[in-house]
Amino acid sequence: MTVSRNKLTKKDITQMSILSVFEQVPFNFERMQAGGFTYCIAPTLKKIYGDQTDEIADAMMSNMDFINTEPHMATFLMGLIMSLEEAGEDRQMIKNIRAGLFGPLAGLGDAVFWFTLLPISAAICCSMSQQGSILGPILYIVFWGAMAIFPRIWLGQLGYRLGVGAVDTIRENAAAITKGAGILGVMVVGGLIPTYVHFGFADTLYLFDVVSVQGIFDAIIPNLLPLGLVFFIYFLFKKKNMNVIQLILVIILISIGISFLGIM
Amino acid sequence: MQITFIQGILLTVLAMICAVDAATEAFFWFRPIVVAFFAGIILGDVQLGLAAGAVAELSYLGLLTVGGTVPPDPLMAGMMTTVIAYASNISAETALGLALPFALLAQWWGIFTNTAYAGFMKPLEEKAKKADIRGFWNIIVVSLVIKSIGYGVITFLSVYAMQNLISGFVSSFPIWLIHGFEIAGGVLPAVGLGLLLRIMLKSENTPYLFLGFLMATFLSLGNVLPIAIAAIAIALIGYHNDKKRMVVVGGSENDGI
Repeated sequence: MTVSRNKLTKKDITQMSILSVFEQVPFNFERMQAGGFTYCIAPTLKKIYGDQTDEIADAMMSNMDFINTEPHMATFLMGLIMSLEEAGEDRQMIKNIRAGLFGPLAGLGDAVFWFTLLPISAAICCSMSQQGSILGPILYIVFWGAMAIFPRIWLGQLGYRLGVGAVDTIRENAAAITKGAGILGVMVVGGLIPTYVHFGFADTLYLFDVVSVQGIFDAIIPNLLPLGLVFFIYFLFKKKNMNVIQLILVIILISIGISFLGIM
Repeated sequence: MQITFIQGILLTVLAMICAVDAATEAFFWFRPIVVAFFAGIILGDVQLGLAAGAVAELSYLGLLTVGGTVPPDPLMAGMMTTVIAYASNISAETALGLALPFALLAQWWGIFTNTAYAGFMKPLEEKAKKADIRGFWNIIVVSLVIKSIGYGVITFLSVYAMQNLISGFVSSFPIWLIHGFEIAGGVLPAVGLGLLLRIMLKSENTPYLFLGFLMATFLSLGNVLPIAIAAIAIALIGYHNDKKRMVVVGGSENDGI
């Protein structure tokens, strides 16, 4: 029995990409996003195979393996898989490409969306919020609303268009984009420290009744204490593998102690 | 101030809507800045919602669900920072630390559903084998609804049913204790930033951290956007230089470095 395959249109890929907002949904520790991923491509598979239920079932089952990628980037992989299914490529090869690409895509997506765009958008919108402007949250909602739809559509189309060639494209560009996003993200974090970390001695605290303690630090370089604090916390995470919740509790306890002593 | 029954219900509905988004991670309505803004509107104190959203957003910035881990819950942090500040009449910065137990409670709910939902994989496979797309979808909806209801229950209990308990507890605090939480509120954003750095900071990009820090310290910029634009410029310069170097060496990427 020969399998017939319908051609997909641009609109099919766009619809699949929008549906992909559910990619993350029945997330679980066993196979992570497998269920959501399969659901998002199922209507498009039906489009390809029409009434050939066995083919749809086979294709769905081959996507039920473990997958964990960045939700915005998932459409790239979906588009790619659709172009391979449409071309009737060997399903084992499709599985291998899927398994090989979700990790690099996750790294790329995390670098761009979570470690770069999120801190920047949060910083800009929070500074508006702190000035008492409702534009802060509204801008945030509009920005991430657009981010939830347009990159998904663009990436879905891109993956579909590139087809098998996508594998090389990802390998060539992933490192460069991740490096660039790293520079952007780190520099923005550096810029956030003075504005958002508040850590300084009380103005009333004097050394030997003559020198203001905070004045000493300010004379070296303003915001030195917040900078040092961020590095100290980074050190605790990176080198000491400290647990986040423990650290937050310790910070609260130390803060209360400092307050009790009246030095800040 | 007292939270009315209607406000309690509205806050519960808000949490349930945002919980759906927390499950999809699509529109970012689960982020504290959004949750606190709407909570502020419901409580009739928009300014408080803005302040609470800003301080909670920044503190929960680095606490991300990257790689399938479950962090203390940003949704509940935004919600309870606003609610505790409102009900106990304290600043948003002070309320931030007091909201932590509730963020942990919701975190446990997240861990529970992520564990329990492994049980959905068998039924999903059954549907996939029959190419039953509608049946497949129904299971996904059920998982969304269960998650959302859990958030609703936690929120209703925390904001309405236990409000006198919480505000009574907070108002019994001496001033130094309240001020201690305020100091912690100023320090906690450093945790979010430290967590971001744990993942992003490499020896090759450390200089840019200092550049950003110096720009923010010595230029009165208003917000961080100019720093971001300067960083994009630097990243692009680096990208083009890398490309050029590869061409000069005259070979594949393997020859570089």
